[in-house]
Amino acid sequence: MTGFIEFLVYLFTIGGIWGMLSLSLNVQFGIAGLINLGHVAFFMLGAYVSTILVVLNGWDITFGIFAGGAAAAAFGMLMALPTARLQQDYWAISTLAVAEILRIFFLNTSLDGPYVGQALGVSGIPRPLRDWFNAEGYSNAAYNWFFLGLVMACLLATLLFCLWLSRTPFARTLKALREDDAVPLALGKRVSSFRIRAMAIGGAIGGLAGGLFAHYNAFIEPEYFRPIETFLIWAMVILGGAGNMIGSLVGTLLVMTLYNSSRFVPGWLNDLFGWTIDGRVYGSLRLVLIGVIIILVILYLPNGLLPERRRKSAQ
Amino acid sequence: MLQVLFDSLIRTAELSLLAVGVTMTYGMLRFANFAHLEFAAIGAYLALALSTGAGLPLPIAAALAIAVTGFFGIATDFVIFRRLRKAAPIMLMIASFALGIVIRETIRAIWGPSGQSYGLPLVRWRVETWEARPLFITPYQVTVIVSAAVAIVAFYFLLSRTRLGVAMRGTAENAPLAQASGIDTNGVIRWVWFIGAAFAALGGVLVGLNTQVKPDMGGGLIIEVFAAAILGGIGNPYGAMLGALIIAVAENATLAINWGPVLQWAGFEAGDFVFIPTGYKAAAAFVLLILALLIRPQGLLGAKR
Repeated sequence: MTGFIEFLVYLFTIGGIWGMLSLSLNVQFGIAGLINLGHVAFFMLGAYVSTILVVLNGWDITFGIFAGGAAAAAFGMLMALPTARLQQDYWAISTLAVAEILRIFFLNTSLDGPYVGQALGVSGIPRPLRDWFNAEGYSNAAYNWFFLGLVMACLLATLLFCLWLSRTPFARTLKALREDDAVPLALGKRVSSFRIRAMAIGGAIGGLAGGLFAHYNAFIEPEYFRPIETFLIWAMVILGGAGNMIGSLVGTLLVMTLYNSSRFVPGWLNDLFGWTIDGRVYGSLRLVLIGVIIILVILYLPNGLLPERRRKSAQ
Repeated sequence: MLQVLFDSLIRTAELSLLAVGVTMTYGMLRFANFAHLEFAAIGAYLALALSTGAGLPLPIAAALAIAVTGFFGIATDFVIFRRLRKAAPIMLMIASFALGIVIRETIRAIWGPSGQSYGLPLVRWRVETWEARPLFITPYQVTVIVSAAVAIVAFYFLLSRTRLGVAMRGTAENAPLAQASGIDTNGVIRWVWFIGAAFAALGGVLVGLNTQVKPDMGGGLIIEVFAAAILGGIGNPYGAMLGALIIAVAENATLAINWGPVLQWAGFEAGDFVFIPTGYKAAAAFVLLILALLIRPQGLLGAKR
């Protein structure tokens, strides 16, 4: 039982971090209609920038995480620049390429000597207040509960911010732009500046999530940031319903539970039916399951489990 | 130098076969099919199962695998994409991404994650040329180039000399008009799926012949292939081949060029010999894709839309 509770603490901590990712993608796609297929780039940038500043330059963890968020926000602004010129789907494909370029960069660049960075990753990333918990004699489990609280606080703050944001005139303009409406243009709104800000906000939240992840996991490597991670974030947003912030969190919970189900489902299947499933095969099957669910959702429930609420007059 | 050109030619052959289907479905149905690359893996693994598994000779196994993959392409359209003709492009992209993961992970679950081969003997010819370094060629690389060339010539005759080819070009140009002129556009779309998937399967078998058969052998090429298709102009199969050539040469040349004198000329402090590490090879294609999109989004051979 304690094993299961420990697993739940882990699931909600990691799920909380991914919840921030899906909320930030929902700001970009759900509100602004930007098809960002490279969202994992912000996560990667936040994780790496914070790690480099804290591990190699000795910064404080808090400053490191915020610097990671700032770097990701700047990167998001950079990514938004071509939106004015490019067709939507071409921009989407180029974001996929941008995230892969960033991953290839971290995969091939040694950060400090031959044993740090590249495919080896960075290990020994400090965890916030870990020394204090050790000095006071608290258990590992207590520390994990503390980190869960920290992540949940960040997630709640992100959720409140996104809910507030989607009610602002800024979001209304973005939604109008999303629907290809000429009204904002006629009112003299600068289209590109709105999209740049949307990418910066989403990037900042994604970067903060990356910093939290690096300091929770204490280890990062380029393999954590493949295009399939971006797909999982999209799966969360589409499953929950684009434009609906609560929906994103529901989607995150469902996808993360499926994604981490390899920890308990093979055991259950063995206990209940006597089936033995190889861990590696189950690792593939859970992704097949997530893929099939997403295809079914797109075919039969294109607005997701919790569709965005639209005003009647908007129809 | 010759080795660089020869390697680029092989890469061009492989990327062309994969990019032709991408550009045709993109041009006709207006969506980026990220699952297209998985047809290559399906073809390669079916050929593997039929040859080393069922004991058929490899050419027959490959031909069967290519035909089956072609029908699988039609099936994906029938089950998924046909129902999404009016959906937003992003929904099609995400659905195809999901389908790609389903196919890749199913292959991984069945055949395992490690690379396999068709079990052919290792042969390497050493060809002396006017260059100091000899050229190394395998018979499989020759097979890659010859098969790709035959497929592409056949495709050219199909497009330019047959009724189906005319119908395909007409449907890609203006589907409602083609339909009004009595062309069975749904039939044409089925053919496009068949041909695209079959070409990708041939590409997959050839990649497997030249290197190895792996679950991510198709999915891992996604950005290179889209770069080729976009560079050449979406909807233009010949453009996709040109794009494949440019990507292949760029990838191999980036690694082969000594950047030292270039950097010194540009005023940077650099040694006499500066080579870009092999790991960055893929980045060359990606950077080219982004530059192409920024400078000439309609592609090299594309008309402005």
